Amino acid sequence: MGEPEFYVGYLPRAPRRLARFVRALVIALVATSVVFAALMAGSQGAFSNGAFEFGVERDFTGWIETEPYPMLVVERPGGGWSTYLLSGVGKHGAESEVGSGSGYWASLRGSLIYRDGQTMIEVSRGSVVPQVGPDSGSFGEPAGDAGSGSASGAKPQPDLSRIEGVGGERTFVGEIVDSKCFLGVMKPGATKPHRACATRCISGGVPPVLLVRDGDGVATYLLLVDETGASVGRQLVDRALIAEPVRVHGKLDQLGDRWVLRADPSRIERIE
Amino acid sequence: MGHSYRAVGWNRQKRVYDLALIAGIVLYLATFVGVGFTLHPGATAETMLIRALGTGAFLLLHLVLAIGPLCRVDSRFLPLLYNRRHLGVATFVLGLLHGGFALVQFHALGDLNPLVSVFVSNPRVDSVAQFPFQPLGVIALVILFLMAATSHDFWLANLTAPVWKSLHMLVYLAYLLLVGHVSLGVLQAETSPVLAGAVGIGMAGLLALHLLAGASEVAVDRGRDAATGAAGSAAGHSSLGLSSLREEDSAFVDVCAVSEIDEKRARLVSVAGDRVAVFRYDGKFSAVSNACQHQNGPLGEGCVIDGLITCPWHGYQYRPLDGASPEPFTEKVPTFRVQIRSGRVLIDPTPLPAGTPVEPALIGEGASDG
Repeated sequence: MGEPEFYVGYLPRAPRRLARFVRALVIALVATSVVFAALMAGSQGAFSNGAFEFGVERDFTGWIETEPYPMLVVERPGGGWSTYLLSGVGKHGAESEVGSGSGYWASLRGSLIYRDGQTMIEVSRGSVVPQVGPDSGSFGEPAGDAGSGSASGAKPQPDLSRIEGVGGERTFVGEIVDSKCFLGVMKPGATKPHRACATRCISGGVPPVLLVRDGDGVATYLLLVDETGASVGRQLVDRALIAEPVRVHGKLDQLGDRWVLRADPSRIERIE
Repeated sequence: MGHSYRAVGWNRQKRVYDLALIAGIVLYLATFVGVGFTLHPGATAETMLIRALGTGAFLLLHLVLAIGPLCRVDSRFLPLLYNRRHLGVATFVLGLLHGGFALVQFHALGDLNPLVSVFVSNPRVDSVAQFPFQPLGVIALVILFLMAATSHDFWLANLTAPVWKSLHMLVYLAYLLLVGHVSLGVLQAETSPVLAGAVGIGMAGLLALHLLAGASEVAVDRGRDAATGAAGSAAGHSSLGLSSLREEDSAFVDVCAVSEIDEKRARLVSVAGDRVAVFRYDGKFSAVSNACQHQNGPLGEGCVIDGLITCPWHGYQYRPLDGASPEPFTEKVPTFRVQIRSGRVLIDPTPLPAGTPVEPALIGEGASDG
């Protein structure tokens, strides 16, 4: 063993035996932390298959519906209409881009967000150009290739009449999330760690959806509106009903290819 | 020491320490991100970075908190303590990056100032399970910032040691806040038991280490008190036969036999709740208060180097004769009178004002006593 060694940090070198001990200790600590890192990284829950084409802009044309939430309506090649929720940049809705009031034909530029067959478009700032009316909608052309709003010939608006109560009066248990993050911008885009973000998004105008999962975990997205069919984001924020289990009772409407749940926000219950 | 301050003086040991620290952090982050993306190719880079930085900071904080008690249990860990503040600053930087990315990710580009959003976007303070976790992280980060910003000895001297020490004890509050931050946040979303298990093991480990260190400290005091009491009585008893004993000598208490103190080392004795370190050097014995003026380091576990008592924590030095740091340094610790009688070392438990010169006791003079 020899004389006990004494360490003084400001001296140039540590005593020999002590230095050997510390070297082994540091190697062990670093090795442990690397194993811990692998363990932590490996134990993370699965990430969703959602995608956000950040930085990739595409051109779209179609009918812009402004109520209850901005969405783009595009005619499907085989007939019928597809609806695509719109959002603004960041944690904002698309209202400032598309305006309010009656719908209109337009072209716009944006980035796709998609998951589970649901698609949203983040509208690029200032890219919405009203049109007289295209021959048909176009969806997702690479930026710069689409028509520039000069399509000819007026065309009536899509037949997107809401089929009220087609799904009956129902009670659902699920989680209210913001459609933008959940579809692919954030992973995870739900549950408590994401609550603050979802709250800001819905407060900013991103459409809220009730996420309902069946026994197999398959998700259904119900666009949430109040009993009159108007947007309901503000009430959800004020009542702090976002990103936790809730029970919602309402009437299930169909709007194009989309389910819409009409419910009184004051009667949405938290499930503690 | 308390003289003038340079930003940081890097010597070889400090460079080695920092290199090992940086290498460890880089390896940790690279492993987390590498394994994370390999197993979860659909993950987003922001989430992976936020998690790598957060877990890294939390792990490093455990190391910071473990070093103190480890050093109490085994002095070979002391080299980790000398630059522990570097670990603390690194913990803060990792935490800041974690918080910064999270702030941008979860709160920026919205309808509210992100710094306000952190505190108001989850208003569910009425529920334990739904309680907001992000403000807890912010408060912990503020504490880590205050500690990192005041980690230099300049602040220790200017804030005064008690204020500085109290401020830096807040690290335990920061740790508890972070346990809450993790438990009320990511633990509620992750289904794997690994993270929960790691948090639990970390808490249990730190608690066990602190209890172990505390128990060893208590044992030291009890042992010394008992020894002092018994030996003191014995000394008192034997002194009854000494007609020449001066009254003031009766105040002295027995510490140990001369042979029980190694050359250049000290023996600790606990008197009236205070610890006194009795050093032996060059055939002389001097006693000083055990608490270093720098950070209350245990001088009694120190060593006499170049004729100066040297603290084992950060190498602060004091003259055995008067408990004062050599010029130009200004630290001073209380001194105690020492006697050698019948081959035993005795001290007067009444502390003398810090810096008071005391003639050291010599082995030779003690031999004639008794």
